[in-house]
Amino acid sequence: MMIAVIGIGQSLRGDDAVGLEAVRQWQENYPDTAKRSDIKVDVSELPGLALLDLLDGMEAAILVDAVKCYSVPGTIHTLLPEQLAAFTSDTKSAHGWGVAETLQLARMLNPDRRTIPIQLIGIEAGQMEMGSGLSEKLKQALPRVCEAIQNEVQTLLAI
Amino acid sequence: MKTIEVPALARVEGEGGLYIGLQDGKAVEIRLDIYEPPRFFEGFLHNRFIQEIPDITARICGICPVAYQMSSAFAIENALGVKISPDARALRRLMYCGEYIESHALHIYMLQAPDLFGKESAFELAAIAPDVVKNALRLKKIGNEILKAIGGRSVHPVNVCIGGFYSWPEAAPIRALLPDLEWGLQTAIDCVKWAMTLPYPELEIDYEFVALHHPDEYGVIEGEIWSSKGSKLSIADYEKGYIEEHVKRSNALHGRTIDGNTYLVGPLSRLNLNHEQLLPAAKKALKDSKLKLPLKNPYKSLIARAIELVQFYEEAIQLVKSYKPQGPAHVELKLKAGEGAGATEAPRGLLYHRYKIDENGFVQFAKITPPTAQNLPRIEADLLAMAPKIVKMPEAEATLTAEHLVRAYDPCISCATHFLKLKVEEVK
Repeated sequence: MMIAVIGIGQSLRGDDAVGLEAVRQWQENYPDTAKRSDIKVDVSELPGLALLDLLDGMEAAILVDAVKCYSVPGTIHTLLPEQLAAFTSDTKSAHGWGVAETLQLARMLNPDRRTIPIQLIGIEAGQMEMGSGLSEKLKQALPRVCEAIQNEVQTLLAI
Repeated sequence: MKTIEVPALARVEGEGGLYIGLQDGKAVEIRLDIYEPPRFFEGFLHNRFIQEIPDITARICGICPVAYQMSSAFAIENALGVKISPDARALRRLMYCGEYIESHALHIYMLQAPDLFGKESAFELAAIAPDVVKNALRLKKIGNEILKAIGGRSVHPVNVCIGGFYSWPEAAPIRALLPDLEWGLQTAIDCVKWAMTLPYPELEIDYEFVALHHPDEYGVIEGEIWSSKGSKLSIADYEKGYIEEHVKRSNALHGRTIDGNTYLVGPLSRLNLNHEQLLPAAKKALKDSKLKLPLKNPYKSLIARAIELVQFYEEAIQLVKSYKPQGPAHVELKLKAGEGAGATEAPRGLLYHRYKIDENGFVQFAKITPPTAQNLPRIEADLLAMAPKIVKMPEAEATLTAEHLVRAYDPCISCATHFLKLKVEEVK
């Protein structure tokens, strides 16, 4: 099974970089898994509709991104795409296409294609103001996020 | 179920607000409030080493990273008195082709076409015309593939450096793009024909068109800044002809000509000023369309984008075929204190950068004038012209009509236009 592990975020937006950082650190912490030939790793800032290209040919995917869920910064949420609020957002601009909308569009265009299992690992963000660097709480959460990514990968590999 | 807000969905840089002030039923004031990320970056670049600048500025925008990268690289190269090799220049143009292709495909089909079809979003368009949307995604993907082949990745390419490129990308992945590019060229030609059939609202504005002009190629990098009113300035003299001013009650700076007039940058300006430099297939597509230039309807900038889509697919094919880089990928830099300006044509219009650097290569001053800041007063003026109609509409229809106009400009505001909040108020 080809599995994509994709970190999403913005490196110059404080805690919004956590998805990018977590995937990079997971690659370092678990090189044997990350370098497997059936695993494809990407980090992408604001992929928008290009997310579909990253998922092309994949049979499962794990997306790692910052979320705002009104809990303590650093909290890890494991979510299915259906759990994203504003899933049918009234966004009319294609510039700002997010993960949920992009996946929805893919389903609309290819209704016959089997949807691949996608797991979202959302990390509760604190500050997402302009500026580089994760907050201390998010830095401390990184090892746990890496473990969560590894667990999800192992679960998918066992299928 | 929990309510969860994912920044990927909410990644909107503030909110765009449109305010219309009425007096005796007539619009007397229009204010479009848009947040602009480049302002933050100007401060953020202070005391950064010059080689960091192209990578940082690329992050100002997820849609036009190449434009920010290119304008900053040329500006700093001008400050150092460095000229990149012809091969590096050609490769930068190919990168720009990739950016135009992906940005224009996105805007034409996913952003503006739903408005013209009277659809709420690209989702509704996908439901009635899935093949159109599939073609759009393929056209866009090819643009991303160009960037990936050159820049290492598709969203924020990382290979550009001050002096050229860090290394020459391998030829094989670039040549492998050719079949897709040939398909893209044909599809873009069909796109122009399709664009001519769409129902555009009627609106003719007597714009002052401003764009980069190059005598030997369609103006994108280097050249002179031309205006339809006759002004011709070197890039270094841009600020002698065009200024930014603070406007009361708005955070955004507004661009004006030195005479205080509004002006327009973007695809209409490029096509009107540079159509003679189009490549043969793009020139033919323009001729076959029977369009009369200058094109003055802002909604029809979709057609100008379609013609440019042909241009950049055609140019990409030429550049890919001739890609045989020789010599070093970048020139060696000799650091010195200096100041330099750079301007390139982002898909949505002229993007100007100016930097002062110290003798060790650290930035001491940065100025970034994005296309949207230049177009903002023009968008407001267009909205004012439309206001008598808008204020008579029900609120939802009024908002959509105003949004459509704003979207036609393809503003580089990190996508805030779909958050337009309309406020109509009686001014006392």
